[in-house]
Amino acid sequence: MKKIFAQLFILSLTLGALTSCEDVVDLDIPSGDPQLVVDGWVTNQATEHTIRLTESAPYFDNSPAKPVLNATVIVTDDKGKVFTFKDLKNNGYYVWKPASASDSLGRIGGTYTLNVKFGTEEYRATTKLNRVPKIDSMTYFFDKLPVAPTDGSPQEGYKPEFFARDPTGAGDCYWIKSYRNGKYYNSASNISTAFDAAFSPGANSDGLIFILPIRQSVVPQIEFALEKDTIKVELLSVSLEAYYFLNQVRMESTNGGLFATPPSNIFTNVTNVNPNGRKALGFFGASGVSTFQTVIDAKKAKPKNG
Amino acid sequence: MKQILTSLVFLLTLTYGYGQERKTVSGYIKDASDGESLIGVSVYVREIGNGTVTNDYGYYALNLPTGTYTLVFNYIGYEKIEKKIELTADLKLNLELKDESLKLQEVVVKATKEDENVKNIEMSVNKVEMKTIRQMPALLGEVDLVRSIQLLPGVTSVGEGASGFNVRGGNIDQNLVLLDEAPVFNSSHLFGFFSVFNPDAIKDVKLVKGGIPAQYGGRISSILDVRLKEGNSKKTEINGGVGTIFSRLSYERPFAKGKGSFIVAGRRSYIDVLAKPFLSGDLKGSRFYFYDFTAKANYRIDDKNTVYASGYFGRDVFGADFGFDWGNQTATARWNHVFNNKLFMNFTTFYSNYDYGLESDRNNTSKTGDKFKWNSNIQTWSLKPDFTYYLTPNNTVTFGGQYINYTSKPGTALAISSGESRNISLDARYADESALYIGNEQKVNDWLSFQYGIRYSHFRNLGPGTNFEFQEIVKGERKIPVSETKYETGVINEYGNWEPRFSTKIELSPSTSIKASYNRTVQYLHLLSNTAASSPLDVWTLSSKIIKPQIADQVALGWFQNFQDNTYEASVEVYYKDLQNQIDYVRNSDLLLNKYLEGDLLFGNGRAYGAEFYVKKNRGKLTGWMSYTLARTERKIEGINNNGWFPARFDKTHNLSVVGLYQLNERWSFSTNFAFNTGTPASFPTNRFEWGGWALPQNVNDSRNASRIPSYHRLDFGATLKSKKKLFGKGQGEWVFSVYNAYNRRNPFSTYVQQNEDNNLQTEAVRYSIIGSVIPAVTYNFKF
Repeated sequence: MKKIFAQLFILSLTLGALTSCEDVVDLDIPSGDPQLVVDGWVTNQATEHTIRLTESAPYFDNSPAKPVLNATVIVTDDKGKVFTFKDLKNNGYYVWKPASASDSLGRIGGTYTLNVKFGTEEYRATTKLNRVPKIDSMTYFFDKLPVAPTDGSPQEGYKPEFFARDPTGAGDCYWIKSYRNGKYYNSASNISTAFDAAFSPGANSDGLIFILPIRQSVVPQIEFALEKDTIKVELLSVSLEAYYFLNQVRMESTNGGLFATPPSNIFTNVTNVNPNGRKALGFFGASGVSTFQTVIDAKKAKPKNG
Repeated sequence: MKQILTSLVFLLTLTYGYGQERKTVSGYIKDASDGESLIGVSVYVREIGNGTVTNDYGYYALNLPTGTYTLVFNYIGYEKIEKKIELTADLKLNLELKDESLKLQEVVVKATKEDENVKNIEMSVNKVEMKTIRQMPALLGEVDLVRSIQLLPGVTSVGEGASGFNVRGGNIDQNLVLLDEAPVFNSSHLFGFFSVFNPDAIKDVKLVKGGIPAQYGGRISSILDVRLKEGNSKKTEINGGVGTIFSRLSYERPFAKGKGSFIVAGRRSYIDVLAKPFLSGDLKGSRFYFYDFTAKANYRIDDKNTVYASGYFGRDVFGADFGFDWGNQTATARWNHVFNNKLFMNFTTFYSNYDYGLESDRNNTSKTGDKFKWNSNIQTWSLKPDFTYYLTPNNTVTFGGQYINYTSKPGTALAISSGESRNISLDARYADESALYIGNEQKVNDWLSFQYGIRYSHFRNLGPGTNFEFQEIVKGERKIPVSETKYETGVINEYGNWEPRFSTKIELSPSTSIKASYNRTVQYLHLLSNTAASSPLDVWTLSSKIIKPQIADQVALGWFQNFQDNTYEASVEVYYKDLQNQIDYVRNSDLLLNKYLEGDLLFGNGRAYGAEFYVKKNRGKLTGWMSYTLARTERKIEGINNNGWFPARFDKTHNLSVVGLYQLNERWSFSTNFAFNTGTPASFPTNRFEWGGWALPQNVNDSRNASRIPSYHRLDFGATLKSKKKLFGKGQGEWVFSVYNAYNRRNPFSTYVQQNEDNNLQTEAVRYSIIGSVIPAVTYNFKF
């Protein structure tokens, strides 16, 4: 919503000869003590899974995050299964590898608890792995921007759209990730989330086919897929907590302009077992994953608004 | 209540002379050139050394013992009139005053009696004449009321381009913006760049920041009372102009042989018309324009009855395939009735509506398609009788009441996904607010006056509706709904509040006075907005069981001094304001189309205090004012800033404005503004952490608004050239030139942090400016 709004605003400003502008400036701000950061996500896919442990740093310190080494990282599920994560390369990436090609960590309906022991502190995070519908199809249509983008990116191309139906029963949350020729659309402003088939809990959209702006969130609003591109969409089920967490990541990553909200700290589901112990940051999540992949073929493009 | 009434009656009788027969002289005072009634004209009785002023309808009444008197009618910028009267029976005396500026070629800054600053009991009140506002340099040459009042002491805003204004530490929704007594819910066009008031149709503007009389209620920080012109009752007049943004046209004329007159005025932005040939593809169907239409008519039935009708309609329309539009509509009907020479009544009834609509895929009409449609509105109507009883020259009693009915439809929405449609509307909410008030302005003697009064307001949520209950799990986080109780009819929830008001004036000398005031104000309607600047999507939300009424208590103390025979007027005021039930929001709050909205709200207190210094030059070739405010505005909300006090988004420590107008000769006049403000507060992270390939911000202290952005300053120039040649033999034309932000400063609206566009792991700070360069503009105005 905010995005559409911002675009309209920019449109009216440009035409109204007003000259809003943004400059990168230096800012002198104090920093705080470093904290443990947990970056972990497990799925029902039969692949290896990684949980990354680092330390937070002063905000403008753009050197790579300092890894947290020698921690014990274990995930247990609600059936008592234990998955041990090992820092194989001694770089803070703790990895669990499936024993066989069909061995997966996650299971739809399972509950997963992460346990991290680091020095004298012990941290815990729990999440549920929810159901996910399959993606039925993908289509695309040809579109063109009225003006050529100034950064030289294409002015015209294909807009892919995925079709999936939210299962009946309110409260399903999703994260839609997409890839063009294997490259993940990784800008935080492009994080696409859904609650049932629409944007938010108030939308009463249970059981619908994902609504339109979400269906088209495969490529960012002013970008295109080109002929012969391979476009892949992943639909991830996420917990309600994760849905709010991801929304906040998107918001706090680009929170400027006339309609910025007051910055607030991003929610974490990682807690110290000792309530008075040092706090941690980050999130541990779990997802069921559906994927769909297509190769753009001009002959198969649908008409716009078709 | 009973005790207060008793003491009121006692006070009244104290000063009331018995025994002698008394008669009343009364009437209406108007402008001789166009018949507009004049507000605040001084009517002074030489023999008793006392007098009164005309009310908002130009009416005055004086109750005096029979005898011979000399009445002096005085209004700055107008020729003084003296009238000898023989008061043996009730007397009707209507007068017309002549504009003095035609003779003197002086610029008039304010239209009130000259020593009002010292003599009047009003404090914390600023009046700016439209003449002045019209002369001040304006952004893009568009004369703008709300931008102009931001140069007054005690008034700030969150920044350039933001909607609304903040008065003495109040949020923008705490200002009662009245257009001919009807509240205007959104005072902005184009988000916040231009206000909705057409300068061609406005007669008088008054901003009341403190010492608020009992007749006003409903908002806790200020009253912006905008009065429309009645229309020329002498001859037909056409005004118009072509500016950078708007083209304007107004038409006014008398009817029924001068017993009535009307004005109609319209404005429309025209950039879309110019841009049309250059648009192609998806933008071809683009709509981006805003307009407003203002009209007013009045008719004098007889000496005792006058009726007025006024209306406003404005709209902003944006979008192409995706549409977005919003606007206000107001309608007011008023009846002025003089019961007898001492009792004056104004009966107002108004309707006001604010609504917006969003629609996606406007071009898609197929049944199987997708669509999203969403409307939201707030609608009120009201009945409001106000009485003025001119008991004696020393006691003017005001009393009356108001009934307001509210219907709020916060979201009526329909989503269609692949042909399946869902109604995702929120329930409408109904409420009403009633108020009764009585007040008296009492002149005890030459140097001491009081104004005291009380208002009782009563608010009811009416059925059908739902009361929600929430459970708080963590302070400052979203509350979870635990129960809903539905009501089909009846009163769901109610609040009642006493609102005492008190002001006093002590005159130390003819040119010096001290004034003090206390007032309590209560507000039952709240604009929920969690963004830096309020957006047109923000929803006006009624009080409920969970959203308690906002309450403000304000004390103010001031020193008022005039110099050099009232050429200069000056004041120093200090104020302290205590605010209850202030609203804030949980992180990630969802304020739109959210049934459980109240679970996302946080509540707390506020406080604001400051000192305002003001000097104004009223006469001479050079006029203008200088104002400096030193202020602090803070909030304390459970769950934010570790439950400690933090500065509000619009808190500005120093706020300096200088406005200068210079009349060189009959053709040329010049103007300048200078503004300096401390930068607004901002929150910055202390640390970063990497998650999901992004460098994310974190503030280890969890503090709010602990830093500030750089200060804001700006200089503007304006010049007006009246054309020498008469337009088509009889009209007048003028060119208005303006330069906004003359020394090309890139004033920040905000500074924020983000990830670099090309590298998600690189952090940077960004300065965001709304106006990044000098903006010159030319406007042409004409008048027939």
